[in-house]
Amino acid sequence: MNSLDQAKKEFETSLLRVTSLVELDQLNTAFLGRLGHVNTLLKSIAKLAPEERKSFGASVNELKRMVDDKLKSKRQALLTKEDKTFVDTTMPGTAYPKGSLHLITIAIEEITRIFEKIGFIRMSYPEVEWEYFAFEALNMPKTHPARDDFETTFIEAPEHPENGKMVLTPHTSSGQVREMWRLGKPPVRMINISKCYRPNWDATHTPMFFQFEGLCVDRDINITHLRGTLDYFVKSYFGPDREVRLRPHHFQFTEPSFEVDITCGQCNGTGKVKDAKCKVCKSGWLELGGTGMVHPNVLKAGKMDEGGYSGWAFGFGIERVIMMKYGIDDIRNYYTGDIRFLEQF
Amino acid sequence: MNIKITHAWLADYLETDATPEEIRKDLSLCGPSVESIQEAGNDTVYDIEITSNRIDTASVIGIAQECQAILPMFGKKAVLKNNPLTAHTFSSIDKRVGTPLDIRIEDPSLCPRFAAIVLEVRENSPSPAFMKERLNAVGIKSMGAVIDISNYLMMTLGQPTHVFDYDRIRDGRMIMRQSRKGEVVTTLDEKKIALPGGDIVMEDGSGELFDLCGIMGGLNSSFTQDTKRVVLFVQTYDKQRIRKTSMKTGQRTLAATFFEKGLDEELVEPTLAYGVKLLEKYAGGKVASALYDIYPRRVHPKKVTSSYGEVSRQIGVDIGLDKVRQILVALGFGVEVKGDNLEITVPSFRTNDISITEDIVEEVARVYGYHRIPGVLPPPAYVRQPPETEKLFVFQHKIKLFLKHLGLIETLNYSMISQALISDLKLELAEHLNVSNTLSEDIKYLRRSLLPSLIKNMRENEGKREVIRLFEVAKIYPKREGNLPDESYRVAIAANTSYRDLKGIVESLLNELNVAGVSFDKTDHELLAGSNACGVSMDGERAGTFGMLRETLQDAVGLKKHVYLAELSFDMLAQHAKNVAVYRPIRPFAVIKLDLTIPHTRTYQEIVTNTRRQSGLLQKVELLSEFEGKITLRFYFGSDTENITEETAKKELAALSANLS
Repeated sequence: MNSLDQAKKEFETSLLRVTSLVELDQLNTAFLGRLGHVNTLLKSIAKLAPEERKSFGASVNELKRMVDDKLKSKRQALLTKEDKTFVDTTMPGTAYPKGSLHLITIAIEEITRIFEKIGFIRMSYPEVEWEYFAFEALNMPKTHPARDDFETTFIEAPEHPENGKMVLTPHTSSGQVREMWRLGKPPVRMINISKCYRPNWDATHTPMFFQFEGLCVDRDINITHLRGTLDYFVKSYFGPDREVRLRPHHFQFTEPSFEVDITCGQCNGTGKVKDAKCKVCKSGWLELGGTGMVHPNVLKAGKMDEGGYSGWAFGFGIERVIMMKYGIDDIRNYYTGDIRFLEQF
Repeated sequence: MNIKITHAWLADYLETDATPEEIRKDLSLCGPSVESIQEAGNDTVYDIEITSNRIDTASVIGIAQECQAILPMFGKKAVLKNNPLTAHTFSSIDKRVGTPLDIRIEDPSLCPRFAAIVLEVRENSPSPAFMKERLNAVGIKSMGAVIDISNYLMMTLGQPTHVFDYDRIRDGRMIMRQSRKGEVVTTLDEKKIALPGGDIVMEDGSGELFDLCGIMGGLNSSFTQDTKRVVLFVQTYDKQRIRKTSMKTGQRTLAATFFEKGLDEELVEPTLAYGVKLLEKYAGGKVASALYDIYPRRVHPKKVTSSYGEVSRQIGVDIGLDKVRQILVALGFGVEVKGDNLEITVPSFRTNDISITEDIVEEVARVYGYHRIPGVLPPPAYVRQPPETEKLFVFQHKIKLFLKHLGLIETLNYSMISQALISDLKLELAEHLNVSNTLSEDIKYLRRSLLPSLIKNMRENEGKREVIRLFEVAKIYPKREGNLPDESYRVAIAANTSYRDLKGIVESLLNELNVAGVSFDKTDHELLAGSNACGVSMDGERAGTFGMLRETLQDAVGLKKHVYLAELSFDMLAQHAKNVAVYRPIRPFAVIKLDLTIPHTRTYQEIVTNTRRQSGLLQKVELLSEFEGKITLRFYFGSDTENITEETAKKELAALSANLS
């Protein structure tokens, strides 16, 4: 058998054994590579008699074409061959840590983003505060019941000659006058999110909680602007189907004052789930929190009482909006550090 | 507070075609919130929330007044009738002389108005059926005509009253004064109450107290089935004193919740006069004394001046002058229109709550209906957020997200910790600010560090999961002389894994924030083991510490496994953090990596500093592994200007190696 036939035979035997693209590439190199069989044969032409060279050359080229064709068709055959390897696609992938953020953190981010879009900046003010900012500046005189031992948490510290006692702020509203002072003049567009403290600890209250406060002061701000902002917030945070209503209420630092209700997500504001009374709400509505038009005495304390300025403010509980949005109502777990609760979010 | 009234009771004073359901809906939108309505026999009971400024609505007549203003806005008829405020006056009482009372008020500020009258009554009179039913329906137990009348007056008019047994008050002597601390009074419910002092009480001249005024009558002067003569007693009191006494003694009676809000002095007259009529009618009452009415400073009607323009401007909607007037008049205000000006006379029962235009705006807007007021966003305005505040929140969130993605769990603890935890951890109690009226000893001392809370979290979670890694970002409150505490944020991490794991978290956080110039050095920390407490500095300034909780403290708090802790100053992190790392141009030249294992006899930081100082071609050192006192390092050699050969790199390494072993 001449070298040409030998190469041809070897190729065919090898090709039969090829089962993968990698092996096919190896075979390709072995025959068509720089140092492959075909090139070796071509180089051997020089050793032949001149009259044999032409036909030998033609035969090598034929071999080359044959090898090339068979490799190509084998490639196609391999590529289109049905893959019979068993892969359990339901097996879990590599595990990566997830960790968790506290529900409060998640809500704070959502709320901040919503108000940022309408130009409200988030600020931060003291949690340990003087009575002046927590009360006097907010039109709550010394005799107001909310200032007594039963509703306010006091710090053991010497009294300040002008600002009174040191307290743990019972609401984010203590940032109102501080923000007005910082800016000196309107416009004010603030969101203040902070821990607050009240001596109340039961199934639905924790002695520390989070509030977010909105404050808007500008020329000719009226009730329609408050209503518009609440509509915007409620639809952004809770969803476009939710409706807002204002009801009369009373707070010292706003006049008029309102209680804000939103339609219940459980019963869509109907008060009924499949003909039974909705267990979540009062007749289709859920209380969101308190709001109102900034009291003239507060504007005065903030030195913004002259020049036709007016404003609105609200203070809502973050635990409450979380409960209303996500239905997680066991607020006693929020601050106990129980990993079984925390790791879920 | 909440009160209950019934529909039939309301209908005594209000002519209306509205159904209870309509009244519930409409009042809730524009006035007092009616939380529920419930059938009770032939009647319907309203459960109504009363806000603290509107104690005048905590009565049948108060609700009737609100209905008169609100229901017509919904197309319903509503007109007050038989108004008891005007129907009953002192002039209608047939006064007598005899059975005198000897009244002394030691301090007039205790009691702006004091009214009393003595009546003979028929012993053991039963209550009329309607009164019994109505009281039962609103949750007040019927106890015979005399006591029921007293309660009925309160619910009808919103003015609590009391009836004493005249013959049980020694010499008819009523001395109203402030209590002395520790004085004891036994109230009707047979509770012996030691008084805090400064409470309003009455004594009979012998020193014996017989009334804890505004809260509950004394047992020794109380009405009984055998009572033949009663003192009908109607007062207003200093509201602050009532609240204080009620809260401090825990006697939260219905009467106290009325008096502590401050009542209308003008209501005393119709209440007493109507009371006399009811006692005459249902308890065989006969007036047996003069009428005592001590009212030194008569309250005069208050005036408020406003304008239609201002009211419309504040609401943002033109309601129409006629409607404004209609609303105010229906609420009991007097209104005189002079051009655009409104001269408004405030009814006596609203004196405490109406004084400025904004109060008028509230009355008009709520009755008109907040649901009729449209919403628009406030005009756009740009307010600059201080850059440090922006940084605070941006980096806070970045840090939280990063730690979360590393697999840590965020915890949020109370800002206060217990004395027990502080002493278990051998921290200085006196350095902590503390709450003076704490609800619980668990939350008394303000945190100066987040670590004690995290240690507590680790202990309480121990065993719940094998691997526990927690973090908290929160404020601390270090004391400052004569000022508020210096509130600043900390980032704290706790893990039960290993020292290296914790350090890895700290380092990757610093990397994530592109903090440059970080160095670590051994330090002392009150909570961390002396052998491994490590300080973190940024550009030479201390920014935090980490290490393992001291074993003695671990034992003291009851932790079984070691706990690794880190605490960093948030301000330092934010100050040194960068959004984007410093860019280094890509070098086109080869970098040659060579590994070397050496005995771990000097610190890693020394090795890195020394080798970098020694070799100009050394670009980076990396720790590959640590095993039995030896460490394997990877050295990266390269030049900024040319390709170096492996030979060159090997020579560099050999030189370094000579100095390292």
